[in-house]
Amino acid sequence: MDVKITKQDAKTFVQLTGRLDTTNAEQFQSDITPLMEDANPDIEFDCTDMEYTSSQGLRLFLMLQKTVSSKGGNMVLKNMKTQVKEVFDITGFSNIIKIV
Amino acid sequence: MVKRFDPVAGRNADIIESVMASEDVVNLADDLQFKVRLCVEEVEENILCYSGSTWVEVETCVEKDQLNIEFRDGGIAFDPLAKADPDINASLDERNIGGLGIFICKQMMDVVEYERKGDSNVLKMKIAIKLQ
Repeated sequence: MDVKITKQDAKTFVQLTGRLDTTNAEQFQSDITPLMEDANPDIEFDCTDMEYTSSQGLRLFLMLQKTVSSKGGNMVLKNMKTQVKEVFDITGFSNIIKIV
Repeated sequence: MVKRFDPVAGRNADIIESVMASEDVVNLADDLQFKVRLCVEEVEENILCYSGSTWVEVETCVEKDQLNIEFRDGGIAFDPLAKADPDINASLDERNIGGLGIFICKQMMDVVEYERKGDSNVLKMKIAIKLQ
């Protein structure tokens, strides 16, 4: 999976392309760890080209959401494909992570 | 089709891709392929993390309008279905990281069954299919 991170003013944009799975979850964790160090995180994921996530990806989004919320920050996942959204829905993650 | 992975350490991607490339799966509709990929990944992750087996066998077959996927490994007896489901209505603070993989399989597949057969763990999954 490709992860492209850009910062604009105080906001962080993350563009995800491809599959987030067991083969690259560790790399994804390394990619997003710096985002947790922001004092007041404001993160927007563009999931337009995210093809897939397994529970390996879900746990990282949960970890990030917990950190962001504990700092009073904001995180949103945008433009998710229907099948990827279904994985968030059936696990209840849609209730605790903002998806628009 | 039966594929055996021995040794199995570090073969996560091989297992998934061999199932996805099998003739039983490659012609399925995209939404079914998505579910198969996801559940195969979740099960093999579980086996590789917990069973301690040095080998895994994966068998796929189509029966009428159903795809059967069977995993066998020689690890310690471990019934992943015995674990309680995660509370999907829990708040963000209460949600635990982990415990989701087998729950996803139970949601996505029509049938998920575990059996201890001799010295092997056997996990079967079944899903209704519509060939393209």
